[in-house]
Amino acid sequence: MAMIEVQHLTKRYRDRVAIDDLTFSVEEGEILGFLGPNGAGKSTTMKILTGFLPPSEGVARVGGFDVFTHPLEVKRRIGYLPETPPLYPDMTVHGYLKFVAALKRLPSRELKGEVERVASLTGVTHVLGRLIQNLSKGYKQRVGIAQALLGSPQVLILDEPTEGLDPAQRAEVRALIKGLAGKHTVILSTHILPEVTMTCEKVLILNQGRIVAYDDLRKLAGSQGTSESASLEEVFIKLTAA
Amino acid sequence: MRIALAIARKELSLFFTTPWAYGVFTAMVALSSFFFVNLLATFQQVQAQAREVTWAMMPPDMTAYRNLTDGVMVQLWGMVIVITLFVAPFLSMRLFAEEKRNKTFELLMTAPVRPIEIVLGKYLGGLGIISTTLGLTLVFPLVLSSFGQAESGTALEWSTVLLGYGGVLLWGATCMAVGMFISALTESQMLAAFLTFAVLLPWMMLSGVAQATEEPLRSVLTYLSFDAQLQNLLKGILDVQTFVFFASVIVFSLLLTHRTVEARRWA
Repeated sequence: MAMIEVQHLTKRYRDRVAIDDLTFSVEEGEILGFLGPNGAGKSTTMKILTGFLPPSEGVARVGGFDVFTHPLEVKRRIGYLPETPPLYPDMTVHGYLKFVAALKRLPSRELKGEVERVASLTGVTHVLGRLIQNLSKGYKQRVGIAQALLGSPQVLILDEPTEGLDPAQRAEVRALIKGLAGKHTVILSTHILPEVTMTCEKVLILNQGRIVAYDDLRKLAGSQGTSESASLEEVFIKLTAA
Repeated sequence: MRIALAIARKELSLFFTTPWAYGVFTAMVALSSFFFVNLLATFQQVQAQAREVTWAMMPPDMTAYRNLTDGVMVQLWGMVIVITLFVAPFLSMRLFAEEKRNKTFELLMTAPVRPIEIVLGKYLGGLGIISTTLGLTLVFPLVLSSFGQAESGTALEWSTVLLGYGGVLLWGATCMAVGMFISALTESQMLAAFLTFAVLLPWMMLSGVAQATEEPLRSVLTYLSFDAQLQNLLKGILDVQTFVFFASVIVFSLLLTHRTVEARRWA
């Protein structure tokens, strides 16, 4: 059974259609790359999957639970990094991670070890005692990722996780995400196309709320009428030009 | 419940790290000290006058000044109520509005947390904040009891003073509940503070409006007005009706807040 199942998902804000009839699924342990120009509906889809927004129509299931009718079951299985990392500027990194761990109902015995684990995974161990507002953008982003990893949820939904990072940090985060494959099911959205080529097996390209491509990364180039050797960038530009 | 406590703890620790908190504390203490000193001066004047002409010759409305409890503390609590009306909206405005502006609301809403736990956690945090702020005013009865003198017994009648203080706390808790609901409606903290004030002030003064109306409307309005409800408790008269009234306002505000948070899932 697929870990994430989305059927005919539609979200309308009054007259404006944000996403239109999306159907896709992600198998357990898979990494799905979410691509699309700004405003294509990537973040909206992610917000619906995490139960932050209700869909107008259609069903989304995570681990077999409907997002709308069993929100708690779904939220327990998801680690989510929103577009803007949800940080409290006046908290220390350590205090913040401890707070999120409590929100995720981690038993207090495991709390300390878990905070240390995600901190070392994301490389924020040496800034644990600092106030979040004094961190650079890259570190803030990493704290956001650390927060999503707390409790090692089965599903990770990361909205532009490499935003604001320098090239070296980007490579680190990419390696980190790649390492999560197999154990976690990951949906990853990004603007940076090489990122997808390097981390994801499957790609979903959205444009104006619709799926314009949804395939294995390797098959994508051939199936879209471009030459076999076409880069993802060429495919992307061709598909979203309309 | 553990989650609610974690949220309350976060709320409190964040509050005490902001300079804002100490500004509010200063304002609270400065304003109430001002009234305290004024009340003491009046008290001394009346006492001096009474020594010359004896209490029997004094006008009847001056009898409150025969002791420190009725002459100073009861009236001071009345003033603290008014100060709270101005201060509480600035304490409650952050509760939800800031989370929304900061985008951290998304964290709370996508964590495996029930809306009721968020609301209770936030409210407990709010209670902690307002109790600390109001706790500072306990310094005044303490000063009176250590330096004051009475013709018989202790300088202060503590049961009266503490019941009055209970009324003050109850009022603070009500302001926070109403303020939290309004804060959950908006992203803007200033708007939340302003609206809270705009709701609390007319509600407070409802008894004045009641004077201008006829029965049975007058009784209804008087019953609903905050200051008419508080009057007995502030004087140290235990009144169950007051507790029922304020508890209802608090519970109703919490329910509305819960609905508002829940509604995010539907619209």
